[in-house]
Amino acid sequence: MIQPSKTQTIIVYSSAITLGLILLCPVLWLFIMSVSSTKDLTTLPLQWIPEDISFENYIKLIGDVDSTSAESFLYALRNSLIVALSATFLSLCVAIPAAYSLSRLPGKRRKSLLFVAIATFMMPPVALVLPLYSAMASLGLLNTHIALIAVYCGILVPFTTWLLKSNFDAIPIDLDEAPLIDGANRLQIIWHITLPIAKPALGAAALMAVLMAWDEFFYALLFTNDIRAKTLPVAIADFAAGRVADYGLISAAGILATIPPVSMAYFLQKSLVSGLMSGSVKG
Amino acid sequence: MTALSLKNINKSFGEIQVIRDINLDIKPGEFVVFVGPSGCGKSTLLRMIAGLEEISSGEFWIQDRRADQLPASERDIAMVFQSYALYPHMTLAENIGFPLRLGNQPKEIIEKKVQEIASILRLEKFLDRKPGQISGGQRQRVAIGRALARDPKVILLDEPLSNLDAALRLEMRIELAKLHKQLEATMIYVTHDQVEAMTLADRIVILNNGEIAQVGSPLDLYTKPANTFVAEFIGSPKMNLFPASITEGHPGETKINLIGSSSNLMVNKDIEPNNELHLGIRPEHMTPSDEGAIKGIVTSTEQLGSDTYIYFDSETKEQAVARLNGITAIRTGEKISFDASQEHYHLFSPGGDRIN
Repeated sequence: MIQPSKTQTIIVYSSAITLGLILLCPVLWLFIMSVSSTKDLTTLPLQWIPEDISFENYIKLIGDVDSTSAESFLYALRNSLIVALSATFLSLCVAIPAAYSLSRLPGKRRKSLLFVAIATFMMPPVALVLPLYSAMASLGLLNTHIALIAVYCGILVPFTTWLLKSNFDAIPIDLDEAPLIDGANRLQIIWHITLPIAKPALGAAALMAVLMAWDEFFYALLFTNDIRAKTLPVAIADFAAGRVADYGLISAAGILATIPPVSMAYFLQKSLVSGLMSGSVKG
Repeated sequence: MTALSLKNINKSFGEIQVIRDINLDIKPGEFVVFVGPSGCGKSTLLRMIAGLEEISSGEFWIQDRRADQLPASERDIAMVFQSYALYPHMTLAENIGFPLRLGNQPKEIIEKKVQEIASILRLEKFLDRKPGQISGGQRQRVAIGRALARDPKVILLDEPLSNLDAALRLEMRIELAKLHKQLEATMIYVTHDQVEAMTLADRIVILNNGEIAQVGSPLDLYTKPANTFVAEFIGSPKMNLFPASITEGHPGETKINLIGSSSNLMVNKDIEPNNELHLGIRPEHMTPSDEGAIKGIVTSTEQLGSDTYIYFDSETKEQAVARLNGITAIRTGEKISFDASQEHYHLFSPGGDRIN
């Protein structure tokens, strides 16, 4: 075994620590803000470490159910969960067979379809928002979950299809032909063979999809106007939109809003570990 | 009665025709081997029988049922893949039982069948392992086990032994032959290895450029190759083909002259006067003789212990080869001459077809 030299070790570790700090600092600062008093946050020079730590902002958001901030936060949390999870579920339902067909079934036109799908993903939202808005308005869907779910599916389907397709491509074609001969139809192949083998990819695709829907701001801002449909990014922005921006409250909402996706990532971590392929075909 | 029959089968990928006009009947219980150099279309033909590849034109029948439009899952044909294609997320028992599970068989029946197959293939101890945790030879057996699960009429094997090492390949070859006797199933086996073909087959189909070069029992192909392609393909080292011409023909006797050589060979046979032909002699039928008609200079020798291969440049043909029993003292650079008895002559027309 080759021993890395001391300088090498130092460089590797210091780079890792720097990267860690860059990534964690904003989160840490967000947390500090969320537990500081407004006074500490507004004095000059800035009080980096708050004098007294208080979780009052958190209580305002989730403890005191009758307050307006709690109402808008909790409704937004519910809306975000409904919208992100349904959009992810629906897009995966479409993307799995689509990715399978793009990866496995013959035909030249099929391939160009994938390019079209990716092209729509590249389009800036500004280009689409007006027609979408008027369509939603005439369907009477503005300020509903369905509007956001539909729009998010439009974003997520091309993305997840592309992600899954490249993963399905990595599965040897023999693992498609063997079940075909064993008597399976295409749906059975997807269910019994392709999906279990592509589980890590499926987990990654689901996680990315939830995150994209969870963070989306632009459409959510334009298509919703009250607590019935407003999602978290919009609700948090609302906290800043009043006459006085309560930075502590905004930060606490931000911290709370990261908890669902982070915990989901934590639980999916196991399925994200690859290496399931070993031993199936020679290699 | 036939198990499978192929009538005027053709296959093209775009402009390129890979299978040309194949006609073949396969009897129930027969062990047929498709053999040929790489790119000859043998795997494509097997995949067409399996239903993984469409048939461009022609008819394919399974017993008395027309099957060229039948999907793979309904052909009742099982296949063992070169790569094994085991399902990595399932245990061996689940792998073997998978075809039965698709057929919605009750659990007890699946379990019983899996146990039965596992005992035939000596896999009982490993049934709850996954494919990643067993050796190459065991994976190969699982792949065969999965093919046996549904008691298929026909089992297709696509170069099943090519990923195993030499010792294991020999062992599996013997096991496969035993298994075929035991199961009495029709098997079609694709290989590029002529030893596998010769040892396993009831009948060998030699393919060249998408066409059948010859069909016959292993010994038929060895003793009576229909053309120069088969003559050179079967047998190792390959048959020597000497360019020759007929100089004189008397009733019941023909004199053959090896081109570039002064010596003549006599054949007690009437052969139509033909200016040119190829005389084929297998290396193992060449015997050293001082007065031999085939003369040359030894360029290299290979000592295998049981045999010695002697490569020599003869007057008619460079790099001819003879195979002598045991160890010999012949050295590179020596002059040497060989004879062969005339029942071992194979005569081919300039086009490559067999004459005698």
